[in-house]
Amino acid sequence: MIEVKGLTKFYGPHPAVMDVTFQVSEGEVVAFLGPNGAGKSTTMRVLTCYLPPTYGEVKVRGYDVMEDSLEVRRNIGYLPERIALYPEMRVRQYLDYVGRLQGLAGQALRSGIDRVIEQCGLEERAQAIIGTLSLGYRQRVGLAQALIHNPPVLILDEPTIGLDPNQIREVRELIKSLAGQHTVLLSTHILPEAQMTCQRVIIINRGRIVAEDTPEALTAQLRRAQTTLVRVRGGDDALAKQILDLPQVNNVRPGDEPETWIVDSELGAECQADVARLVVEKGLDLLELRPVEMSLEEVFRELTMTENIENSE
Amino acid sequence: MRNVATIMRRELFAYFVSPMAYVVIIFFLGVMSLLFALYIGSGRAEAQMVDLFHTMVFLLLMVAPVITMGLIAQERNLGTIEILLSKPVRDAEVALGKYLAAVVLLLIILALSFIYPLIMEKYGSPDWGEILVGYLGVFLAGAAFIAVGLFASSLMSNQIAAAVLAILILLFFWLVGWISYSVSQQLGDIVRHLSVFENIQDLERGIFDTKPLIFFLSICYYFIFLTVRSLEQRRA
Ligand SMILES: Nc1ncnc2c1ncn2[C@@H]1O[C@H](COP(=O)(O)OP(=O)(O)OP(=O)(O)O)[C@@H](O)[C@H]1O
Ligand SMILES: [Mg+2]
Repeated sequence: MIEVKGLTKFYGPHPAVMDVTFQVSEGEVVAFLGPNGAGKSTTMRVLTCYLPPTYGEVKVRGYDVMEDSLEVRRNIGYLPERIALYPEMRVRQYLDYVGRLQGLAGQALRSGIDRVIEQCGLEERAQAIIGTLSLGYRQRVGLAQALIHNPPVLILDEPTIGLDPNQIREVRELIKSLAGQHTVLLSTHILPEAQMTCQRVIIINRGRIVAEDTPEALTAQLRRAQTTLVRVRGGDDALAKQILDLPQVNNVRPGDEPETWIVDSELGAECQADVARLVVEKGLDLLELRPVEMSLEEVFRELTMTENIENSE
Repeated sequence: MRNVATIMRRELFAYFVSPMAYVVIIFFLGVMSLLFALYIGSGRAEAQMVDLFHTMVFLLLMVAPVITMGLIAQERNLGTIEILLSKPVRDAEVALGKYLAAVVLLLIILALSFIYPLIMEKYGSPDWGEILVGYLGVFLAGAAFIAVGLFASSLMSNQIAAAVLAILILLFFWLVGWISYSVSQQLGDIVRHLSVFENIQDLERGIFDTKPLIFFLSICYYFIFLTVRSLEQRRA
């Protein structure tokens, strides 16, 4: 459904996306995962024909974004990262406008509008002026306009950004419900979100794809190691050394706060028990012992360790 | 063509839901009424329509950039252009739809200004043929100004900057005739052909000629063309 081959995109002299190649097949829900500035939005803008590629071949349903741009755009529903709507229009009126631009008319247009209003929970706000809507509702209108023509391919750029936890859950449910009938490519920088909604994750960093796998495989790959935060009242460097000497511990470094250490170790609860026993045996107070979620940056460090990508920090 | 109509309708809605259309109409008719009253008072019956048309063209020089300033610049500023240009719509349809919305607003303004010749009917017997030719001239000039303003709007993401740029381009076309008197004969002739001022004069007097007609239509065509090219550039 989506075929990207060797996509490179320059903004002036700066490459935002370098030699990106991937495919999404029919009915798949794929997440594009990457930290800020990775090139997720840039890739999506090329896919939606908003920006032309500098090099490379980009096809949607076999249509090339340069040669058959209009045909590509007919097959795509796009939710941009920065949801910009006309503040003076009413929700229904706006959907009518977008539906017409997508080529709908008459009964098809009316039923399309009704369908997305229901799908996105906009029934009560259908006559509201867009400028008066809350961010969450604007996001829904953004989704509604992307869905209005029931497109085979959906490109959603950070669809849950700025929503409250309830709305996030609703949007994720909605995306899951789209799987099967639609091919979905969504971007996010939240790993659990990708795991929750998608069948496959493409990880992109600094304009290049660094990993591509099912969420399960990626998590397994990441689970080879674990990180634990330890807080000990009166702990010192000597204690840190002793922790490092424990079996299974690979590394100990001071945490951001005083009297805390970050312990990198092999997977499993064994190491945490050892650390707790050690501290207590030394007669010190163990104040905190908890696993640390890997930040996305760490995930990338982990995944790209072998690829030797220069780190500017 | 359907897309042109869809886009035009949205722009017209935006004009009339905001104060924009009303402010422009009131400004235009306000200034015109004031001058009209002065003309009537001074009793220069025979010169009246020419002067009115000339004033209208001059006012449109200021009004057209205001009407057009937001057409594309505002979409860039808000970011709505990203959704618009990822819809199956040709860049030319976007440009034309927006252009025609401004032209419709121009037609509404000119239709309302028709009250002046109607009033004049009471004071004398104006030549309706001449008046229609005069209106044709004003309309053509306004339509050309709008094309220039649309192009300026496509270059900017700030409305005010777009309006200022449009006024600068239009002032060039208005004043370029003056240069003609300070350069050589041949160059002067060429430059005069570019002058709005020179081209509008005959039409204002009610004398129909194809030369100004072609001049204004060329400006419309050329600047709409440039607008399409500017949209194609996709500056993000
Ligand atoms: N219009 C632009 N002009 C110049 N550089 C740009 C432009 N848009 C993006 N960039 C640069 O291109 C790179 C990729 O940006 P992009 O927006 O694609 O990242 P992203 O993965 O979507 O990040 P985020 O998670 O912050 O949305 C960044 O370094 C960014 O600074
Ligand atoms: Mg982005």
